Amino acid sequence: MNSTNRFSRFTTALRITAAVALLATLGLWVSTGAHTGWTQTSKVTVQHDEITGIDFPVREKTFVAGVEVIAAGAAVAAALAAASVFTNRRRNA
Amino acid sequence: MNTIRTSLASLALGSIALLSAHAAPQTFDFKDPKGVNNVQFKLDAPLESITGTATGISGTVSFDTAAALTASGSIVLDTKTLTVGNPLMQEHLHSANWLDVATYPTITFTAESLANVTTKGLTTTADITGNLTVKGITKEVSVPVTFTYLADKLGARLGNDKLKGDLLVLRATFEINRNDFNIQPGQYTDKVAEDIHLSLAIAGAAPRE
Repeated sequence: MNSTNRFSRFTTALRITAAVALLATLGLWVSTGAHTGWTQTSKVTVQHDEITGIDFPVREKTFVAGVEVIAAGAAVAAALAAASVFTNRRRNA
Repeated sequence: MNTIRTSLASLALGSIALLSAHAAPQTFDFKDPKGVNNVQFKLDAPLESITGTATGISGTVSFDTAAALTASGSIVLDTKTLTVGNPLMQEHLHSANWLDVATYPTITFTAESLANVTTKGLTTTADITGNLTVKGITKEVSVPVTFTYLADKLGARLGNDKLKGDLLVLRATFEINRNDFNIQPGQYTDKVAEDIHLSLAIAGAAPRE
């Protein structure tokens, strides 16, 4: 296998990985509720106490991906895509 | 004649004693075995409002259920129970820069006086003035509150019909300014609002023998 083919495969692998990283991040974000705020590791549900009439919050542990998760995924995808462009240039040089 | 006088005097004294007994303030303990008592707080921020909850509430309030003209006592919040959904935000909230929960483990409100008291049925609304201590700084605040007196409801609440006693539900919604309590005064105003919106809903119990 010559070096041009090796670079070509590596470039393709980087681009596929970038696309997978971006899609996986978006998938995680959508599947946890497409929350447009910060990431949460707990969620509040409100319950009602019949005797006192008090509505009270019950906190449950859960993971809700926020905008920083999307930003991190996009940054990783962008870095991989940039690396693929760099390797592609080296192949063409 | 003397017999009639003595009887009238006895009746009058008896009535006064009965009224006094009825009007005596009851002391309600706000330590909540059911985990229902809560404080919710909210601060505006650019991306989304910072909202959180706290459940570590204790304290006692003495309330005149008959006349509703006096209330005294204090409510204490364990600052370690202040919780927000984002772990990094929670770490900052508890840190020395913000609430410093290690040094100041409680937030306390001590009631001093009631004003503008209005009672309709079981519910009394009033403005309660007292001293609020946050991060070691005490300020006088006046807070609109609603008291709901629930006679003989303690047993039903705790699922034990043999338990006799009354409940007092206290609700309040008010704002404080974090600058007043040395919580990053004048700092990060572009990231976190200076006004903290607080909402309190707690129930206290007064058991009877």
